[in-house]
Amino acid sequence: MNFSRIFHNLNYVVSALLFLMGLYAVTVKPNIIKKLIGLNIMETSVFLLIVSVGMVDNGVAPIVTEGYRNALEAGRVVNPIPQALILTGIVVAVSTTAVALSLCLRVHEKYGTLNAPEILGRDVL
Amino acid sequence: MRRLLVVAALACLGIMLLYTIGRMPPMNSGSTPDKTHVVPRYLEHGEEEGGAPNIITSVILNYRGYDTMGEVTVIFSALCAVVALLDREKRGRSRSAADISKVKSSVIVRTVVRIAVPVIILFAVYTILHGETSPGGGFQGGAIVGASIILFTLAFGLPESTDRMPLGARIPMESSAMLAFLAMGFLGLAFGVEFLTYALPGIHGQATETIRMLMLMVVEIGIGVAGGIIFISIVFAMIREDRYELQPDIP
Amino acid sequence: MNLAARQPVLLVAVPLVFAATCPLWGMWKRRICFYWALGGMSVTAFLAWSLIGKVSQKAPLTYNVSGWRPPWGIQIRIDTVGLLLACTITAMSILLLLYSYRYVEKEIPTQRIVYYYTLLLLIFTAMLGCSVTGDLFNFFVFMEIFSITSYALVAISGERRAIRAALKYLLMGATSSLTVLLAISFLYSVTGSLNMVDIGQVLERMGRTSSPYLPVAAAAMIFFIAGFCVKAAVFPVHVWLPEAHSIAPSPVSALLSALVIKMGVLGIIRTLFTVYGRGFSSFSEVWGALATVLSWAAALSIPVAAIMAIMQTDLKVMIAYSSVVHVGYIVLGISVLSVQGFAGGLFNIVAHAMGKGCFFLVAGIIIYKHGFRRIDDLKGLGRSMPVTAGAFAIASLSIVGLPPSAGFIAKWNILYGCLQQSQYIQVVLALFGSMLSAVYCFKVVYYMFFTGSNVGAKMDEGPMTMLIPVTLLAAGTVFFGIFSALLMPTLSNAARVLLAR
Repeated sequence: MNFSRIFHNLNYVVSALLFLMGLYAVTVKPNIIKKLIGLNIMETSVFLLIVSVGMVDNGVAPIVTEGYRNALEAGRVVNPIPQALILTGIVVAVSTTAVALSLCLRVHEKYGTLNAPEILGRDVL
Repeated sequence: MRRLLVVAALACLGIMLLYTIGRMPPMNSGSTPDKTHVVPRYLEHGEEEGGAPNIITSVILNYRGYDTMGEVTVIFSALCAVVALLDREKRGRSRSAADISKVKSSVIVRTVVRIAVPVIILFAVYTILHGETSPGGGFQGGAIVGASIILFTLAFGLPESTDRMPLGARIPMESSAMLAFLAMGFLGLAFGVEFLTYALPGIHGQATETIRMLMLMVVEIGIGVAGGIIFISIVFAMIREDRYELQPDIP
Repeated sequence: MNLAARQPVLLVAVPLVFAATCPLWGMWKRRICFYWALGGMSVTAFLAWSLIGKVSQKAPLTYNVSGWRPPWGIQIRIDTVGLLLACTITAMSILLLLYSYRYVEKEIPTQRIVYYYTLLLLIFTAMLGCSVTGDLFNFFVFMEIFSITSYALVAISGERRAIRAALKYLLMGATSSLTVLLAISFLYSVTGSLNMVDIGQVLERMGRTSSPYLPVAAAAMIFFIAGFCVKAAVFPVHVWLPEAHSIAPSPVSALLSALVIKMGVLGIIRTLFTVYGRGFSSFSEVWGALATVLSWAAALSIPVAAIMAIMQTDLKVMIAYSSVVHVGYIVLGISVLSVQGFAGGLFNIVAHAMGKGCFFLVAGIIIYKHGFRRIDDLKGLGRSMPVTAGAFAIASLSIVGLPPSAGFIAKWNILYGCLQQSQYIQVVLALFGSMLSAVYCFKVVYYMFFTGSNVGAKMDEGPMTMLIPVTLLAAGTVFFGIFSALLMPTLSNAARVLLAR
């Protein structure tokens, strides 16, 4: 493994670590809200990864204003596709979280707790 | 034991991720594969082809407009999901925790909110309408609208809010984004071009530009209105406290 | 206006129009939503079924949305696999809506009926969008729509176990979606494209020039398969399925089992063959290893899930485990990499949709009439509900895989494909699983027809709108068993094209 390359791509490393942290929370934490927070951390990590893919050094936003042509010739305009993709990704994440939170409200109302093992322990199939 | 297994599995996954990342194209370089294949055309011609100086808006609404139609469907389905789980509020009868609580929000909070909310909404309108030339757009503006009404609800309580935003007015607005997209799509079909094409043929010169601008604007406004109202409806469904007695458990 | 050339996009746009306007009708009268949904899906079914014969795997029907050629715009690309799924989805959707007409009274609170139909329309639209799209990210977007709607549909009855099942489903489903998104971003970072066919070409080029980024693409493939396996409920990650599918309202169970898990299978097909198939030579090791792992997981899942199914006392949980068995068959057929096995796997998508749809709908009729869920309670039901129980018996032929049913043709081809590839252990496992399937299916049939009555012998059938879908599905399994020649040659051609490298 090429370590200098890994440290050059520091954003990617951070995103991988965030992904693992999130997955740890989703699988291990007993509290459902914490699981959801873990899920959101995972989502953020993926967004960080995609946005970092589109970055360039001293990049300018892909908006046509004065100086845009010069930046384009110099190859300094950032990639717009990842930004469009994470906009979709964020909306999806928000929607999933909204549904998950309403399920949590109902679960808390019916079971009186948000502790996953306790909930799974009741009315077993 | 379980935790140990999970940690071991995560460690394997972590090694795999690090291995992958170590082989990914270097960051911050202008010549990575992602910037040489599809993107150059967007950056070169995004303005004249896509119809918006903000190339991201061009990509979102024009090149990948079909994705964005799916995206507004995602928030619409989230709303349907939340409402199917928690039900709509009952007008005049639904109370939030803030209404039930003995402690009312203070005069200072109420006054500040009363002054701030219109300004926030104004800013949201600016964000929605200016999304074509500057950072912003329908989703961002919609989120700001939603936030302003949530602020209002927290200060003044649910009944005040639902009086101003009655259910009957909200339901048509919730599907407005999808309907705006579909209307623009079918308009394209009616003019004999492809679905979701904003440049209608048969209209020459300056008019094409203007019509494309208008069509993009309709979609942006649709997204903004629907986004805002959907967030508001979701929050209304979540904060009402009358859920418990209205919903008998079905065996 | 040339509508025929625009048919591919109408396939998604038309049901979306109906979905967006459904709550507006609900403001006025709830009942209208049912007719609105049924009308919308009928139009869509017409659009989908009229494409039959115009599409082949080699020359798929394409449509560039917004008029941008791929890879710049999103392309809709209907090939044989996509059309097969689109036709299955639209046909099932009409039957399920018809069935829901009376069933909603039983398990769904009145104020939620409007959103029940809206969610159904949305989930059908999303699945259609998934099956016809040619863009990877677009696939993800539609996948999220059907995931979010299915979480809600599982919990819509408001029963506490249903809510718990939905939450479990959501946690696993959202994690798997994120895995897929991670894979998409890896793949995007090294190919710069989102169109499936275009990515395939770029990967091929990368393989020829032995690009240093190939390992990233290979890792992305592993993440894709991992994510889609959760959606498809392949053996080790199937844990969400039995609970979610058994506690959901019966039409929803039928929908989830018959169609939604097939979308995970579609994702596997799309990534493994459309995206990575062309670049095969540069991935042969990882690709081959993944296919082998998949086929082993699938083969193992068949007997294990069948044993789990035998152990159940609740009818719907038993049927849900049987879905895991059949996903095992489908994935086994696909991953064994022989033309015949692949065609059999595709055929089993249809056969299982009909058979499992029928099973869940029968269970729904029994719940609707008597409220029974336990298998022991079904004693003598064949006398009071001959049509329902008869349909169950016929469908169980297909689920077990006996002639003359569609399930037999599917399993025969899958096993034949395994034999062609000399995968003898897989064949033994699958055959053993089939025998176990016979145990759990015929146990129910035996209880229904050959034991003393529990409810009296008086005729007491369910309502007509529920019996028609059940009978049609049962008849469909026999029809496609006898006339399998209608489908199999087309599917074999599709398999040949997909497997050709």
